[in-house]
Amino acid sequence: MAVVGRYLRVYQQFLSSSLSEAMSFRAHFVLLIVMDSLFYLTTLLSVGFIYDHVELIGVWGRWEFLFFVAFMLTIDQIHMTFISQNFWQFSRDIVEGKLDFLLLKPIGGIFLVFFRRIRPATIFTLFIPWGTLLYCGIEIELSLFSWLLLPFFLLLGLVLLVSLEILISLSMFWTYQSIGINFLRMQFQSVSRWPDFVYRHYFRKVFTILMPVLLIGSAPVHFLIDREWLPLVGMFLAIFVCWVLINIFWKLGLRRYESASS
Amino acid sequence: MISCKSLSKNFQIHIKRPGISGALRAFVTREYRDVSAVKSFDLDIPSGEIVGFLGPNGAGKTTLIKMLTGIIVPSSGSAIVLGYEPFARAVEFRKQIALVMGQKSQLWWDIPAYDSFLLLKSYYEISTSDFNQRLNELTELLNVQHLLQTHVRRLSLGERMKMELIACLLHQPKVIFLDEPTIGLDLVAQTAIRDFITRYHALYGCTVVLTSHYMADVEALCSRIVLILDGAKRFDGSIESFEGLLGNEKYISLTFDKEARDSNPIWEELRAEWNEQGTRVDLRIPETRLPELLGTLLQNYPVSDINTEKLPIEKVMRTLLDKPEMLKS
Amino acid sequence: MSVLVLEARKWAQTMSIAFSDRLAYKFDFVLYVLGPSIVFFFIKYNLWVSIYSYQTESVIKGYDLGMMLQYQAWILIVSFLAQGHTSLQLAEDIRLGRISSYLLYPFSFWQYHTAAFFSLQVIQIFVATVSLMVLVLAGLLPVNLDLLIQGVFFSLLVGLLWFAFQFTIGLLAFWLEETWVLRVMLMLVAQFLSGAIIPLELYPDWLRSLLLYTPFPYLAYIPVKIFMGEYDASYLQTLLILIFWIGAVFMLARFVWRRGLRLYSAAGM
Repeated sequence: MAVVGRYLRVYQQFLSSSLSEAMSFRAHFVLLIVMDSLFYLTTLLSVGFIYDHVELIGVWGRWEFLFFVAFMLTIDQIHMTFISQNFWQFSRDIVEGKLDFLLLKPIGGIFLVFFRRIRPATIFTLFIPWGTLLYCGIEIELSLFSWLLLPFFLLLGLVLLVSLEILISLSMFWTYQSIGINFLRMQFQSVSRWPDFVYRHYFRKVFTILMPVLLIGSAPVHFLIDREWLPLVGMFLAIFVCWVLINIFWKLGLRRYESASS
Repeated sequence: MISCKSLSKNFQIHIKRPGISGALRAFVTREYRDVSAVKSFDLDIPSGEIVGFLGPNGAGKTTLIKMLTGIIVPSSGSAIVLGYEPFARAVEFRKQIALVMGQKSQLWWDIPAYDSFLLLKSYYEISTSDFNQRLNELTELLNVQHLLQTHVRRLSLGERMKMELIACLLHQPKVIFLDEPTIGLDLVAQTAIRDFITRYHALYGCTVVLTSHYMADVEALCSRIVLILDGAKRFDGSIESFEGLLGNEKYISLTFDKEARDSNPIWEELRAEWNEQGTRVDLRIPETRLPELLGTLLQNYPVSDINTEKLPIEKVMRTLLDKPEMLKS
Repeated sequence: MSVLVLEARKWAQTMSIAFSDRLAYKFDFVLYVLGPSIVFFFIKYNLWVSIYSYQTESVIKGYDLGMMLQYQAWILIVSFLAQGHTSLQLAEDIRLGRISSYLLYPFSFWQYHTAAFFSLQVIQIFVATVSLMVLVLAGLLPVNLDLLIQGVFFSLLVGLLWFAFQFTIGLLAFWLEETWVLRVMLMLVAQFLSGAIIPLELYPDWLRSLLLYTPFPYLAYIPVKIFMGEYDASYLQTLLILIFWIGAVFMLARFVWRRGLRLYSAAGM
């Protein structure tokens, strides 16, 4: 319990330092909000335009599909604010040898590396995805039970996404060509932003079992809308396996780390 | 406190060939070369000592330090620091060591140094009262109280270095590794940092491992020198014995009233170096013969000024780097 | 004559270095240059196959499944031919103060980055050719030499337009620490307004008519339509409008450059 308290205190410092840093760059602050808002709008509008011409995709009509997309965008918004920047920082730190200092600190390496930096600016973009999510949820007449589960599922999707991304990022210990890995990670994320039934059989299997990005959104939303519970089980399993692998590869990666010389 | 046996580290360096054909070839295959950065290193440093690691760039000093702090894993051999194996990276171990690198900063660039210190306070679980007391003491010793709220990127190199030192000392580590802490600093800042390290060490008795290219740092701070060439230990002893490596000679320079250069064989014997006009000569006289030779010269030549200087550590280094075969130990 | 040869040699050498630089990180190259476009195509392919499989009518706004997939495949080819360039290095040159060296070299900043652009285009053309062969073999794209030539020529010109856009954004590094946000915004806006995500026919009529007055459809929609042989308006006229837009954006870039340089020398960065 004391350990949790300690980590919370450290996280509080992360928040405070990140805020202090963000305040020095006002133009960047505003531009981030505009950029993310553009992303959310263009994605939602594109889906909306498709539904101007079709009734159903799979078993989902306009509002179910938009609910799904909004669900993924909401996860993206939280991700962008609390996690995203750390992946880019990690790739720079590995190449420049700045990881040294982080490894010396008497606190968990993974926590320090992947959760240190927060982007306060993108908190302000929450209105579009969260708003759309709520609106669509009302349109599809989500049950009370589903509404109560919604926040928990958002968190669950986020946990799976972050776990997969950390696992992918650990490969930077071996490749050193870190920018590429970050783009790979983003590609997987963009695959996850579309429902699983959109993908053809073979690809659907690959992205549900081998690299389970599709479980991030499809598993929870299929439960909320269609009451399918099997994918959810898959989700918990995927998270567990992820963290087992993360522990293994973090240790192996550190042995591999050569720390660019000064 | 610190001990290593047969510690070694090998790296694989990727070879790239220039030009378009080279680029295309590299796209398809990769060529590697094995480099031995640290070779079978043995070392024992007792508690409270200040040791200087000397050697040219690429000699392996920084690699050695990174193995002693647990940042990289040794290829073979063992190291024990404060009773821990560094690479196991035990939390208790990490709480007792500190590393400062002159060429890399650990502070956040775009926030005041004070904010970075608060971050460290939370990592090391330093109590607020301890934190305030130590911060006051350190900022006073280094004279940077007024800079705590300045963004780190706006500090001068010297000021930033002082903040880096404070950052590494807030948790009162028992072993401190300083990798080129004075690099690029002006003389005033260099002196300030040297004085600070001396005072801090006197107060707290920590063990310090220092690497530096500035002999002035080493002369001022270290009681012991470890010379590293090509990844291997070539000398390990007191600073006095290091200075005496080339024999005990006095470096004397004589200035004359008028041109004094002649064909006296003594000049060659003493490895004389004359200035153009022949009015100044630099000599190397063995300590034992100093009174006799100096007396003779003063009698026979119109000497107007004498300067003596013990062979400085810098000259020893330069000579050794030039002729490493002179090291027998 | 010898001046021309010397100048040409500078260009050739710069292009050679830019080429090696780009290939040096092969993994990065695949993921950074090719990855996003291929994954984008992959997602849209799956999306449209599944949309059509669930419909009763097989035509949406004039596209049947085959044509829709063709459309998306051509988007991929056009993105390789026209949108490979990024002004990341340019922005870094400004941010890290490397401009000073350019002001001293007898090879200007503009010349350097344009040469780098051309060398990258060589790689992009190679990639586009390979992709085209794969897509033709997979039966997704028909072969029509006439349309191919028209389309490739047009797309390469569009590449210049994209280069001009990227250049302008990169120059904003004179004022902003991090310009990547702007580059992402450009990409988002360009993708959405150029018909790269879904064909412009599916957009509301009022929006589509409005877009045709902007340079955005030229980035994807129009070249794709040319490749598909479905572009109705006069080829020559469209080329002229494209050249107009290229000129306009380059003039904007020139303007921003002069302002930026003034700021740079005033600040003595």
